[in-house]
Amino acid sequence: MQTDILSILNESEALNAKVFSLVRLKLLASLAALGFDGATYRELRAALDINDGVLFANLNVLKDMGYLTSEKITSEGKELELYIITPEGQDEWKRTKAWLCRFLHCGE
Amino acid sequence: METDKSLAVQVPPLRRMTMGNRKKVIAFFKELGFEFDIARFDDRLIAQKIVCLLDLKGIDLGYTCSIYVRGPYSPYLTQDLYEFTNEFENLKTDSRLSSAEKETAGELGRIFGLKPVPLEVGATYGYYALRQNFDPLEALRHVKRLKPFYSEAQVALGISKAKEFLFQPTQKDLEDLKKETGIWQRASLKTLEH
Repeated sequence: MQTDILSILNESEALNAKVFSLVRLKLLASLAALGFDGATYRELRAALDINDGVLFANLNVLKDMGYLTSEKITSEGKELELYIITPEGQDEWKRTKAWLCRFLHCGE
Repeated sequence: METDKSLAVQVPPLRRMTMGNRKKVIAFFKELGFEFDIARFDDRLIAQKIVCLLDLKGIDLGYTCSIYVRGPYSPYLTQDLYEFTNEFENLKTDSRLSSAEKETAGELGRIFGLKPVPLEVGATYGYYALRQNFDPLEALRHVKRLKPFYSEAQVALGISKAKEFLFQPTQKDLEDLKKETGIWQRASLKTLEH
């Protein structure tokens, strides 16, 4: 297998380094699959098993970077916070995923 | 193995890895009397869970459901709901349901009544029990882990509805039931003799 590990590593400069935390990757991966539909805060907390403080802080970081938006919705009479990935978030996730794929192939 | 240099631009788009039969889904919505409104979160949830429950029941609508943070879910259905909103909201379809499909829609409507919570709990339980082949206790444990925000009563109701809709009793189940209730039936007949 011929790999140019250095150029693969250098390609990472085109990525947003702030995305590279486990919690943020989990959030982007989860929300990218749901598109415009999004997921509520309580669904993310339960499914990803992330505690409130960490989840709230990381959702806000992703919002500040323009990768997520949030809105209030009503479900069964309860007001909930819904998080939706933006087109910029989708693009960043696609770039990150593609780079991770290339990077991991190098490890084979 | 050669490195694929073009991988960076080869991320497969989410859509069209499977072809969903949206016309058929709309026919089911029509039969159920479901007036879908894309702006309503609960309507989008109901749409997803109806399709997943029908999938579990063996009706192939082309939208395969897998587990996501929202439970059993089809991203392809979401894409179609947004791309063909007008068709879904106005129930535009030329697809007709067979009599068996109409019967299934009737059962789904009668048992779940287009209510988001039982549909969500029921679809999640059904997915774990039928797709992942978990035993009832394990399936229940997974439902509670994924949906801890629902009360014990809501979970119990959703599961009982899922069982009613998805599980047909086998001959052995019926025989076991007969054995179990036979004692009581005989006792009650004996009481009547006196």
